[in-house]
Amino acid sequence: MNLDVDNLQPIWKLWGEERIDGAIYTVYLKKVRYHRPTQSVQSEDNGERISHLEWETVRVRLLKAGTLERLVEALATDEGELESTYVNIFLATYRTFASPHEVLTLLLDRYDQLANNELDLPPQVAEQHRKTLCGALHVWLESYPEDWSQPPLHPMLRQLLLFTQQHLPNSELHIKVQHRLQSLQSHSKSCDVYSLYNGSSLCLHTTSTQPPYMFPDIPHLHFAEQLTKIDMELFKKVVVHQCLGGVWSRREKKRAEEAATVLATVTQFNAVSLRVISTVLLHTSSPRSAIIAAWIDIAQELRVLKNFSSLKAIISGLQSNPVYRLHKTWSLLPKDKVELFEELARIFSEENNQWAQRELLMREGTARFAVTVGQNDKHLQKIIQRQLNNSGTISYGTIPYLGTFLTDLTMIDAAIPDNLPNGYINFDKRRKEFEVLAQIKLLQGAANAYTIIEDPSFERWFDSVLTLDDKEAYQLSCQIEPPPANTPVNLKIRYNHLERVFNYIIRIPRVFNKLQWLKQVILTNRPPPLIQEGSIKWNHHYGHRKNDSVASTSSSSSSQFYCDIDHASTSIDTKDSVSQTSSSSNGSIDTTPMSPSLNVSQGPTDFYIIKVTYQTDNVETDGIVLYKSIMLSNNERTPQVIRNAMMKLGLEGNPEAYTIAQILPNKGKVTEMVLPPTANVYYAVNTDFNLNFILRPKDQPSPSGHKKSKPLCT
Amino acid sequence: MSRAPNDDLPTYKLVVVGDGGVGKSAITIQFFQKLFVTDYDPTIEDSYIQHAEVDGQWCILDVLDTAGQEEFSAMREQYMRKGDGFLLVYSVTDKQSYENIINFHTQILRVKDRDVYPMLLVANKVDLVHLRKVTEEMGRDLAQKLGIPYIETSAKDPPLNVDAAFQEVVRIIRNQPPAELEKSRRKKKKGLLGKCAII
Repeated sequence: MNLDVDNLQPIWKLWGEERIDGAIYTVYLKKVRYHRPTQSVQSEDNGERISHLEWETVRVRLLKAGTLERLVEALATDEGELESTYVNIFLATYRTFASPHEVLTLLLDRYDQLANNELDLPPQVAEQHRKTLCGALHVWLESYPEDWSQPPLHPMLRQLLLFTQQHLPNSELHIKVQHRLQSLQSHSKSCDVYSLYNGSSLCLHTTSTQPPYMFPDIPHLHFAEQLTKIDMELFKKVVVHQCLGGVWSRREKKRAEEAATVLATVTQFNAVSLRVISTVLLHTSSPRSAIIAAWIDIAQELRVLKNFSSLKAIISGLQSNPVYRLHKTWSLLPKDKVELFEELARIFSEENNQWAQRELLMREGTARFAVTVGQNDKHLQKIIQRQLNNSGTISYGTIPYLGTFLTDLTMIDAAIPDNLPNGYINFDKRRKEFEVLAQIKLLQGAANAYTIIEDPSFERWFDSVLTLDDKEAYQLSCQIEPPPANTPVNLKIRYNHLERVFNYIIRIPRVFNKLQWLKQVILTNRPPPLIQEGSIKWNHHYGHRKNDSVASTSSSSSSQFYCDIDHASTSIDTKDSVSQTSSSSNGSIDTTPMSPSLNVSQGPTDFYIIKVTYQTDNVETDGIVLYKSIMLSNNERTPQVIRNAMMKLGLEGNPEAYTIAQILPNKGKVTEMVLPPTANVYYAVNTDFNLNFILRPKDQPSPSGHKKSKPLCT
Repeated sequence: MSRAPNDDLPTYKLVVVGDGGVGKSAITIQFFQKLFVTDYDPTIEDSYIQHAEVDGQWCILDVLDTAGQEEFSAMREQYMRKGDGFLLVYSVTDKQSYENIINFHTQILRVKDRDVYPMLLVANKVDLVHLRKVTEEMGRDLAQKLGIPYIETSAKDPPLNVDAAFQEVVRIIRNQPPAELEKSRRKKKKGLLGKCAII
């Protein structure tokens, strides 16, 4: 082991430390060539003896720790040359020990001192130092534009502009600063760097008639590419210093602002996993094993594309408890598929500190295509081989799973103190952190190699998939495959049926795309299933009441938990669940033929999801109707349904002043069935048609062309 | 693979869980780096593997601490599945982290499909006396409610109970009823195909 290290770095030798006022340097002796060898091949062959003739030893000082002033001074060597490696490390990490404003002020002060000849340097050296300071400012402006964007006034840019006006009028730097300020001011209205993730997906798809993809009958490669496209955009936008342990891992800070670009990648990762989980659990028109197989196929393509982020997200989804525990479903998968899954999962094995994954990134990070495969990965071997046969045309980037870097940086942050006991800033720590940041930056550069055309209908599909929270997913999973009887854990998941009804809730991922999911659910008659597959039956007569379940109040927004605690907050939970049930949506109700009903299951625990439109005089524009979805369970009578609908639609007032009617398209004509006040709505609705309802004040007549049908008697 | 000289020593996989910012990483680092050293490298293979002697018996501790990945909520269960024993860490200065412990506890039991599992409740950062918001009594109450032992730690120099916490988890694992031990051993070997997954 030691021999290896010696052979790798024979030219650096630690000599000792050197202390000056305000800084400590580590001094190395480094062997360098003092002239170009004429016969390099021979000299390498002959090794040590000859190398004495061709190498000399020089002293290299690396700043180990110091005051902020000394750290800023060290951007230049004693002779005034730019220390480019040091500058890179400093600019990537300084935010952990100083603010941008502090650093700028120190730089400008130093320039002043040099200009006024306060530092007792020979004039040429002072001049060189000043040039170097300008060089450092150029690098800073170019590499970290986000530091300079401080809307609305951009005080740092103004400070710098004032300085260049005074000291460097008409210089390149001066012009650059002017341009930057102008462009930031003109852009300040239109873009906000922190909203890049949510902002990109805010679009209305109401006019599209393209059917969304129907999982699992989807083109796997295309899906993998589209996921990669999204990941690539997010990854390239990651501001690497937001990954630093001091920024990312300290929860008391406002992460949403300070690490927004990192958070965006995490959000996307979770979004993929949640879709894996929900599609497996919710789809019922295809065998569940086919859904799992489709995700494995997508994962395989992601491996070839070297997108380790979505690859891990899919593996995580498939390994999440609600999916992983479905042994019967997994047993229906072809053996090959399971083996492929296990090969893919092995990439992310925690064994030996994520060795497999690290090794893979090392080998393929900047390679054009995937080449690495384990000895025992017989399926991946074939896949990679197939790809190599036409590798001439391939050029892929690499998207890493960011979490490994985040943990490494968190650990460095915990392991190495920020300051030495004497208070100096520990710059060695920043060097260590920079090693990780540099890797991320390298991969960001490589990510440009992808050339994938965006497919808006994929994004629509992605947004349309419902997701389940942790608790919902687990409950569904336990219904699909009940846990073995009589283990005490099981007791916790037994509920009275009302609670269960409320808990089968669909959560809608993003605000604007609910129409798609509703369409999907309704079109395919793929309800959020209670009981669908195989012989699973719910026993209605469990004697145990489940302890109440409450969603986590964790301050981290993405954490999803479910826990069992005391009965205290039953009512709150129920209320919350109700509100999750329903959704608001923009979209046309009538454009798509929909299959009749959302009949979920049989028995007294059933529910429907119905869509309720509120009719006022000015609703409809271009066929776009605002509706809310509410859950209708089997014991709800008309007044309750009206109340629920009013709540969702934001209407106040007396429920008795409203009527609710189902819209029944009938050979081109639209009729309505007004629900009588005493009806059990669940049984009264006509499930031959869409469950579209209209809520209107009693005194308002139905529009012409809508003929009232005879009220139904119960 | 020049690691364990005694391959026949039992290996325990310990998983450190808890909210972000509770000092998990500091506990783990403290355990593995007796002195804070500057040449620490988090990326090497055996960063988090260590031989340890607990009650006169040697074993290998393989610690998984995913500090920094707390927000990747979807992968939490994946690493929980691998653990033989868990340290549930909260910070006594952060009430929320204390309240979230129950969620980790539930999730672990669910993943393990068991009603008990080797776990230790770890109240960290007890050195920050003036910032303390979760009392010892609250900690002990929670531990009792969950049916797991309780320990107070600090990773600040001089560290308090950090080694003791890891050793305690080993004891809890060893003291499981033999049937439970057997059960978890069997489970571990079974992959999805019902056979041993060999790497």
